Formats: sequence, structure tokens, C-alpha cells
Amino acid sequence: MSILKLNVIDLDKSEYKGGKSSLCPGCGHDQISNVIIQAAWENGLPPEGIAKMSGIGCSSKTPAYFLGKSHGFNTVHGRMPSVTTGANMINKDLSFIAVSGDGDTASIGIGQFIHAIRRNLDMVYIIENNGVYGLTKGQYSATVEKGSKKKKGAINSQNPIDLCAMALNLGCSFVARSFSGSKKQLTALLRAAMSHKGMAIIDVISPCVTFANNDESYRSYNYVKENDEVLHIVDYISHFSPLEEVDIPEGQYREIELFDGSKIVLETIGSSHDTTDIVSALGAVHRAESQNKHVTGLLYYNGELPTATETLGITDTPLSKLSLEEGRPTPASLDLINQRFRDIN
Amino acid sequence: MESDVNNFVINIATANGTGSQSSNLIILHSMFEMGVPVSGKNLFPSNISGLPTWFIIRASEYGYQAPGDKTDIQILMNKDTWQDDIDKMEPGTVVIYNEDVKLPVERDDCIVFSMPMTKMARGIAPKFAKMMANMYYVGGLAYLLGIDIKDMEKAVHSQFKGKEKAIEMNLRAIGEGITHAEDNWENKTTFRVEKIEKNPDTYLIEGNEATALGSIYGGINMLAWYPITPSSSVAEGIIKWIPELRTAKDGGTTCAVIQAEDELAAVGMVIGAGWAGGRGMTCTSGPGISLMSEFIGLSYFAEVPGVIWDVNRVGPSTGLPTRTQQGDLSMLYEASHGDTQHIVLIPGTVNECFEFGWRAFDYAERYQTMVFGFSDLDLGMNRWSTEGFVYPDKQMDRGKVIYTQEQLDSIENYGRYRDVDGDGIPYRTLPGSGLDPILYRGTGHDEDGVYSEDPAVYQKTMMRLREKIEGSRDNLPSPVIIEEEIKEVGIIFYGSMENTIGEIDDILERTGLSVSTCRVRALPYHSNLEEFISKHDKNIVLEMNRDGQLFGILRKELPLELLSKIHSVAYSDGMPPRARLYSEKILEVLEEI
Repeated sequence: MSILKLNVIDLDKSEYKGGKSSLCPGCGHDQISNVIIQAAWENGLPPEGIAKMSGIGCSSKTPAYFLGKSHGFNTVHGRMPSVTTGANMINKDLSFIAVSGDGDTASIGIGQFIHAIRRNLDMVYIIENNGVYGLTKGQYSATVEKGSKKKKGAINSQNPIDLCAMALNLGCSFVARSFSGSKKQLTALLRAAMSHKGMAIIDVISPCVTFANNDESYRSYNYVKENDEVLHIVDYISHFSPLEEVDIPEGQYREIELFDGSKIVLETIGSSHDTTDIVSALGAVHRAESQNKHVTGLLYYNGELPTATETLGITDTPLSKLSLEEGRPTPASLDLINQRFRDIN
Repeated sequence: MESDVNNFVINIATANGTGSQSSNLIILHSMFEMGVPVSGKNLFPSNISGLPTWFIIRASEYGYQAPGDKTDIQILMNKDTWQDDIDKMEPGTVVIYNEDVKLPVERDDCIVFSMPMTKMARGIAPKFAKMMANMYYVGGLAYLLGIDIKDMEKAVHSQFKGKEKAIEMNLRAIGEGITHAEDNWENKTTFRVEKIEKNPDTYLIEGNEATALGSIYGGINMLAWYPITPSSSVAEGIIKWIPELRTAKDGGTTCAVIQAEDELAAVGMVIGAGWAGGRGMTCTSGPGISLMSEFIGLSYFAEVPGVIWDVNRVGPSTGLPTRTQQGDLSMLYEASHGDTQHIVLIPGTVNECFEFGWRAFDYAERYQTMVFGFSDLDLGMNRWSTEGFVYPDKQMDRGKVIYTQEQLDSIENYGRYRDVDGDGIPYRTLPGSGLDPILYRGTGHDEDGVYSEDPAVYQKTMMRLREKIEGSRDNLPSPVIIEEEIKEVGIIFYGSMENTIGEIDDILERTGLSVSTCRVRALPYHSNLEEFISKHDKNIVLEMNRDGQLFGILRKELPLELLSKIHSVAYSDGMPPRARLYSEKILEVLEEI
């Protein structure tokens, strides 16, 4: 007998599902879509309050496959951040969940990625990072490791762009890396990102099963599984149900309270990582890179940064909900302006 | 013979960045204050300081605002263009030059005056002598032309608003200039200004500031912009006025302003804003439009409202960044790949900059598409006379937006892209509403917004989009038509040519022609235009570009039987149109017909 399981706003998980995926069977991106569904449902986000944003590419098709009851916008290549910025200005109450690829983010849209971070746009920015351009049949992207080789073609000889390192350098308020095969870790990180106010970046290594799942690729399932350097075990405790998942880890752990009162618990494995220290986070990224490993976990967190709409001093009512009168100044104000110009002329 | 009273052209040759703009505006404003119909044009270089700049002031009792075809009074301040400026002078030109440039003026056929301007300026402000020197030609001109000192004082106060020290020093310099001229010059010139009763309602303002104010009264919620000459002052105007006009009760703003990382991002933000249910706008010039083109296609195809103001400068490429042209029209009309067509509003006056500033948002939301405002450097960055802006005569039109479940339920067979009203315009719901959410996309989509590559679906969508924009024709600003009884020649023109057309019309009529005019104010063009063309024997499409861009659009869209009635006169050299030059070109073409 199956019992309908409801979340904190009494919705079944099916309310968070989307259409059928048209990606290759076994694609890491589909696993990320499932985690998005799971995390949004567990966090009890109202689907109508979410806006799904994406650019162009395999990853950017996925908003059709999750959160079918939310509005979304599949924009143009690499320029999802600017569309999200505009939408955020107009309705800051929306929860923006964006997916993007490494072609989108590390090449054509790298400028928009950088500037969205600088503004601390209030959004969750998931990079589905597979190191190749899938839809155009498997060219290398700019994030692929030097020395890695995809199924067909030469070994990549250029230095990679590490998007987490870049985000850290720019002072991004929430920087994490995960692996599409680590469902538990990714779910906890994503739930925390959804509870964060400001720009939350999760760079998810997501192997391309068609073009780069061969043994010589540093992005294959087997390679990533064996070379995943996990910083800490991540647990998420929601503010509305603090007892739900409490499983206080033994040994050393760090607890971080997020904007909505939820908490993320990081249980140390090996040497302890300080998530308030950008330099230490950059060190972890670069150390792993030098050994051709992928460091995963919450790299950096800062809950104090003002968001873009706060910095700009936008009024509390979302601008999309202003009355006609609030949008247009009065006739008297125009008379005054005309008069002032006349007086100085 | 034209009188020399209130009819003359002053050309002031200076170097960029020497502060001459203040002096020139003081001359302009003091004449305006005397009620003299006057216009000023700043011909400036793409440079911060050092390169040559000319400021042209024209007084015209007929209200002509074009720069004029000849110079009556030449001010020489710039050693780099000295000889060139002298060589261009016609016999009889009045010259005022700065002795301290230490260059000769060897023109016995001209009336030449001089003053040691820099040396005198050093006595008032040793550190700023180079800048202050410009105030001495103001004094010289005031003496020669008979500018009322009271009106000049008012202009100085207006220029240096509240900066008492600057006001005092500049007034002193002007006074010294007048005294020097009185003591040393023999005024045998005939050019004079005479007071006319000034309409107390009129004032001077730049087109870009008018556009900025219009946008604010149009309910702009977000400005995303990237600096580019000559559009930056639209954004700066909005930034200047929103604290006063758009602050909500809680002290927050109702208009977000973002200086974007580039034009690609600026237009992306506009589309994001429109998608989320707000009024987003950007302002740019030709190079920016080129960059924005991909997004403009998304707006057209996914049917997301937005407003872009293009203040045209000279293209192609970087072109002449500080000169004027009407060279972007065909690009705006069909921007982006594939079949597209966009609404373009074309103001010809500062009042229309204001009016189209607010109307643009109504059209964008009504037709769920990108709407362009099309201005140019001449209209945007020069000061023009207005009797005051007129408050919008209708409430904001937010278009076909569904806000409630009841509204949604009342529509039979709703789909985001289904034409339920038969006008090509579908209904839309907003993110956050939870009402019939879809994933907006630039890829092919069916009437419900679902991805589709079906040939019939694509073709039907494209035909509906055409019908939708087609339907806007007669709802957009109609042409301004001035018809003669005898329908001999019709001149079709647009935009800032408005400021020269009266003079062109007078020149042509003096040759015995009967000339009607029709100013197109929007694309797709209004049906009145076809009527105008059919009534006139010969129609000239007059524009400031090389290829005749409006002419090309008309050739494509006019009924076949009207094609033989239109003829192109297109000319562009970066300068605002000179009436005589364009009239001659029109006469040449008329002769050939």
C-alpha cells in the first residue's frame, strides 16, 4: 500500500515534476533534474513562486523536465543571467532556479556569469558541467581538464577555466561543487542553496555519457567517482521541521544558519575546511586540480552580502504588482517640471 | 533681401574640453531669453579633450532651425583649425578672434575684430585662463549683436546654477569683453538681435532628456543600459529624475537602474523585465543594436514586451560616433535573423520624444513585442524649443495580461500563443501567478507554448506574428501631413529632418513648385501615407542616409501602382541637414523624373 507523502505545504512530489526528458539515456543532467524536483519538494517551495531559467544547450533543455507548474524561460546561449537579472528586478519575490551548461557559462556567457556574481543576484545557479558541447556533437568546452580526452578527437591541451575558483575570486556568496552521481550531497547542497539569499553557485560535474564517458576522460562516471575529494558530509535541516533529519554527526561538525532559518551541517572528514575563508576554498580547489581530482562540498559561504535588489534600493512591493498610479507620476509633478524649466530659461 | 536682424549664423571654432560649451550655451540662452527664435548645434569630436569642436548658433525670424548654409559670424579660438576656418569664410563674414593664439587673420574682404582673450582671462582666473578666455567672445558678441545684458545675466545664472563664485567670475569676464569691444572696436556690422515678445511657456531642452522624462511618465520599471554616445544622456536623464518622480512610500525606488556589462546583457535584462510583467527599457545607438539583435528576435518570437531607444549616430561600424544620421532605420525594422518586423516610433520634436517615450511601453505591452524609439544625435543631444510637455492623455495600457483564475477560466481554449480574439495577439500570464505556467522559449513552439518542429505549426505561428504587427499600423502615431491645394510635389520624411523641412519647403516653393509634406512617425507605416502618395504627382522620400532606407521599405510594402510615384533623395555626410543642400538634391531628382 502506498501512502501519498506530502511536503510542508501539502503537495505531493508529482506537483514538482516536469515533462519527459529527451536527453540521452543515463545522462547526468537527468539525475540533476531529479534532485531539483526532490529539493524543491522537500523545501516546500510553492511551485508558482519559482522561476526556472536557462540558456541554450543540453543542460538548458532540462527546465522542461522539472517543475512543470512553474513559469520558466529558456533564453539564448549564455545569456540566461541577464534575463534573470531583469526578471529579478521586476519580481524579487520569485525563487530563481537556473540551470546552465559549461558552454553557456564558461564561454559565450562568461561575462554575464561574472557580472551576475558581482551584483549578488538572488538566484540558484546550477552549472551542469560535462566538459563538452553535446548538442553540436561533442566539441570540448572551456572547463575540461588539460590532458583529458573525450571519446573521439585529440587530448585537450588548453588550461581549464574553473568556475568555482572564478566565483570565489569574485566574492560569490555561496559556492559549492558536486557530482551528479552524489545524490545525497547534491540534494543537501541544493536545498541549502534554495535557502540562501543571494547568488548560490553549484558547479555539478555531470558526465556526458555519449561523448566523454571513456576511460581517458577526467569526466567519466568511473573517473569522477574514484577521484571525488569530498570536503565534508553535508546535511540540511529545514527551518520548518528541525527534527526531521537531525542526525547530529559524531566528531567535528560545523553548523551554518541560512537566510530562511534552515541549517546546513558540515561533518568534517579528514582535514577540516573553513567555509568562511576564500583563500582556503581556493586552496582546496587548486590542490585537487593539481592532482586531477574534483573537490566537492560547500566551498564558501557568506550570508551577509546584500543582494542586487537591496543594493539598488528597490521598493518592497514587487514592481510587477505596482498599481497603475504607482507607476506613473502625477499631472501636478509634470506641471512643476515644466515650470522649473521655464524658470531657468 | 533678408534682414540682418534676428537672421544670422554664428560659427564658434574651439577645441574640445576647453569649457567653450558653457560660453556657447550662454549665448544661445540669452538670445532665446530675448525671444529670438534660435537654435544651437554642437559639432563635437569623439574625444575628451583637444580635438576641434564647432558650435553653430542660428537666429532666424522664420524659425529655421537647420545650421544654415553659410556662416555670418565666425569666432576663431582654435589654432588647429585656424586657417581652414578662415579659408571657408565668404566675403563679408564678421570675424572675432583671440589674439593670444598668435596667428594672423589675413582677410581684407571680411570684418575682423580681435581681443587678447587669454591674457585678459589670466587677470581674473590665472589657473583657468584657457577656459575663461571663452567668455570674452561672449562679451564681444554681446556688444556687436546688442544682446541685452539682463538676459545674458539670467543665462549665466542658469548655466552655473547656484555656483556663486563661477557666476561672479564669468559675468566679470563677459563684462570685460564688452568694455574692451566698446573701447577698441568700430561696430560697422549689420547683424543685430532685437527683442521679440517671448512666449513665456517656451524653454529649451535636449531630446534625450525629453525621452528620459517620457519614459518615466510611461511607468518604466527598469532601465538597463551600457554607455554609448549619443544615447547616454537618455539614461543619465532617467537617473537624474527618478529619485524625485519614482520613489515609493517606503523610500524604495519603483525604477531599477542597472549599468549593464554590455549591450547584450542590457537587452537581456529588458526581456527579463518584460517577461516578469514589468516595463523594461534600454537606450543605445547603432553598434548596440547590432549586438542586441539576437535577443530582439527572441522578443519577437517568444512575444515578450520591451523598449529600446536608438539614438542614431553615423555608421557603419564605429563610424563617426559624434555625428548624426538616419542610418539605422532598416536595421531596426527588421532586426535579428529570420523573418521579423518591429514597431518603430520616430519622433521629430522634443515633445514627441516625451510622448513616444511613454507610448512606447503601451505599444510594447499591447503587441507583446520589442518596440523601438528612433531618435538621432541631432535631436537627442541638441537643445530645442518646447512650450512644455503634455501629460499622457490615457491610462497605461498593460495589454492582454491575465491576472486571475476567473479571467483565465473565461477564455475558452486558452493557450499562451493561441489567437482567441482574431487580432493575432494572444493572452499571457505572468511568472509568480501560477496561472497556466509555460517554459518560454526561442525555439519553435505550438499554441500552448510546447516545443514543436511541426512545419504547419511553425508556418501558422509566423503568419500570426505578421498579422499581429500588421494590425498595429493604424494604431501607431499617424503621419503629420501639410498639404497644398495643388498636389504637385509631396515630400515624405521623418525624424529630426522636421527641423529643416520648413526651410526646404520655402526654398522649393520659391522656385514655383507646390510642395506638400508628410512626416512619417512610425513603422509599419500608417495607411494615410498611401493616400498622400496617390494624391501627389511626384513624391520625394527624403532622408539622411546613403541608400534611402525608408524608400526601400516603401518599395517593398507599397501597392505596386504607387511605386512609380516615389523617388529617393538620400544624402548623409554626418552633419545635420542644411536646407539649401537638400533642396538642391531634391530639385535635381525632380528634373530627372
